[in-house]
Amino acid sequence: MIKFVVSRQLRLLPGLLSVFLVLLFISLPQPGIADEHQKVEGISNKNPGADLWRNVRQRDQELLGSLKSNSQGSSQVKSVDSKMLINQQGDLWARFRMEQLIKYGMMSLGGILILILVFYLLRGRVNIDGGLSGNMVHRFNSYERVLHWVLALVFLFLAITGLTLLFGRTLLIPVMGHELFSVIASSSKEGHNLFGPIFLVSVVLMLIRFVKKNIYAKGDLTWLLKGGGMIGKSHVTGGFFNMGEKSWYWLVILIGLLISISGLILVSPNFGQGRVIMELSHVVHAAGALILIAVSFGHMYLGTVGTEGTNESMRTGYVDISWAEAHHDRWAKECHEKQLIVSAEQYAKLQGRNPINSEDSLSLEKNQ
Amino acid sequence: MIANLIDGLLWNISLVVFAVGVSWKMLSIIFAKRPVDLSVARASSIPGAIKTVFTRFKPAAGMASRIQMKIVAGYMFHLGLFALMFFAAPHVRFLDNEFLGFSWTAMPHSAFIISAQFAFLGLLMLWLYRVLDPVSKLISTTGDHVASILTFVVMLTGCLALLESFSELRLLHRFSVELFLIYFPFSSLMHTFTFIPSRAFTGAWFGRRGISS
Amino acid sequence: MARMKFYCDAERCIECNACVTACKNEHEVPWGVNRRRVVTIKDGEPGERSLSVACMHCSDAPCAAVCPVDCFYTTDDGVVLHDKDICIGCGYCFYACPFGAPQFPSDAAFASRGKMDKCTFCAGGPEDDHSSAEYKKYGRNRLAEGKLPLCAEMCSTKALLAGDANMVSDIYRKRIVNRGASVMNWGVSYDNAKLRTR
Repeated sequence: MIKFVVSRQLRLLPGLLSVFLVLLFISLPQPGIADEHQKVEGISNKNPGADLWRNVRQRDQELLGSLKSNSQGSSQVKSVDSKMLINQQGDLWARFRMEQLIKYGMMSLGGILILILVFYLLRGRVNIDGGLSGNMVHRFNSYERVLHWVLALVFLFLAITGLTLLFGRTLLIPVMGHELFSVIASSSKEGHNLFGPIFLVSVVLMLIRFVKKNIYAKGDLTWLLKGGGMIGKSHVTGGFFNMGEKSWYWLVILIGLLISISGLILVSPNFGQGRVIMELSHVVHAAGALILIAVSFGHMYLGTVGTEGTNESMRTGYVDISWAEAHHDRWAKECHEKQLIVSAEQYAKLQGRNPINSEDSLSLEKNQ
Repeated sequence: MIANLIDGLLWNISLVVFAVGVSWKMLSIIFAKRPVDLSVARASSIPGAIKTVFTRFKPAAGMASRIQMKIVAGYMFHLGLFALMFFAAPHVRFLDNEFLGFSWTAMPHSAFIISAQFAFLGLLMLWLYRVLDPVSKLISTTGDHVASILTFVVMLTGCLALLESFSELRLLHRFSVELFLIYFPFSSLMHTFTFIPSRAFTGAWFGRRGISS
Repeated sequence: MARMKFYCDAERCIECNACVTACKNEHEVPWGVNRRRVVTIKDGEPGERSLSVACMHCSDAPCAAVCPVDCFYTTDDGVVLHDKDICIGCGYCFYACPFGAPQFPSDAAFASRGKMDKCTFCAGGPEDDHSSAEYKKYGRNRLAEGKLPLCAEMCSTKALLAGDANMVSDIYRKRIVNRGASVMNWGVSYDNAKLRTR
């Protein structure tokens, strides 16, 4: 919250600085003039009313004043923040949400989508040099795939419901009117609250399952410096997960935990946390979620149309060995050494397809 | 208009289809002709039948480690759904008003939500396993997918209507329940009722031969 | 048109909480919801003062600005009201309001807060005046009966003033004059008033 206030003032900084310098120059002691002025004491008659209103405004409350403010009053009404007369941060938070969060949120999400489109038009699909070989290697087992899709579906649901609540007033109310949007917003809110903890559980399961393979290792920095093979033609190296995947993983885990925890604070008002904590949680929750959604667009793009041969890994759990060599050469080498490569015929058999006619056997998969 | 249809006619139709369908199906299973068991009875079949109904709640020893996820997810889903169906406050009220005329203690709201979360996570995992695992994908019929998705839709519309203040959302939930009830007798959802007799049948067959299972 | 305002005279409020009680009784407010509350500052210390606070019916209300479903509206009298049929109970208005006016019938986990409830300036809601639906959701509509909010009407020391902003400020201005004119004399007002009448 502080950051946003400061940034607004930063724009004024050059102007303020120059004014300050001019003032400094003028106020430099000039010989002969300064001593002639007699210093006059101000009238130190304290206004007793001022004290009261200072207390009423509770100006001396800290940012987390609602937690431990000693300027709190007392009230016979016992409820959250009932002792606080004026919450200083409320309006600040409201303005942050309405003027900055919604505007910049829309701009960044839209910007990312345009960026991806431009990238696709410029670079096209990143293909494997020499094409796919048809020989496959096992990458993710069924539990890992289930976990990925549970997380993905829950994330999508939460993103859609959350963005509905964030942007709905600006985008949807003009289209559908208050009554209909209210129904949608209510269902979004209830669904969001219910699915949130499932997201936390799947993030934790994800953390447990994949943490070992995602620790940064040697060679990850060069991957980053080469732009992950997306820019230019130079070949990049990677282990089971490459640098980009690892970074996405840690982003999901860390921001996922952050938005889960702040979400739990928002969703359980029964612990009596004050408004200031709720406001801060909301800021963390919204900002984190927007970052995660923006980056997830990139992830979805790369997983589907962005790179050749990637989507199979989360559908069947197998990837083409040429794909592995292109993106994860060290892991591919390991697979070669351990002789884990499955031929196209074997792969088709494993997928329950007719091995003789594996090209278009998907349609024959059943009822034959 | 649509509200009246969903609350009135369609609701009655779905209840009739459900009741008639389930009882017809159960009766036809119970009274189906079975081959005469020519084996010499080594033991009474009844204890075996009763025992097997319960022993099948536990995965077979050799399978336990292989199907860990399905066991955990399966129990999460079924127990969660059971708690939701019979102990959620709106459901208890509904059953009281529409059918029973008496009620029991409902779960507090937070427990209701937590059991819903268990049920959702379980169902999601199970359905995704069905789609992603090549073997279960092959042995799943369209009916299985429809049953999973219908159950999911019923639960989802229910959770969207949690604020209990928009009649549209309540109607949506009720409509999905009606579709579910109509589909129920013609699908694998019948396992709700058939799982006990089928286990008992197997158990009786084993019991008669003195097989401990 | 009138522009309705509350004003609480800190010199007069004696923290009797009658406004709170009257409000609860008049509107049959659910348990746990307090549309109005009295806050005492420096309780038991010199300079102790009490203020009765509820929705201040702001001209530029933060609650209305932040509401994701836009359920707030301002009446011709300048009263900020909300539509409970639209409200989804998200709690954002409570975070945004400086005065803690928005209240929720429940604070259970998983945000089953229920629909927001707040002071209506005894002006009901969007439903027809004096209808039972309006009474059930928002309480009595005294403004439509030509009466002012009950909290102010029955305030024993007339500390809580409600009504058209100009009237309220006129009354308060007269009081200030009678107390000895200046804010410099705050805290000794009644002594000065005694001197003046002598």
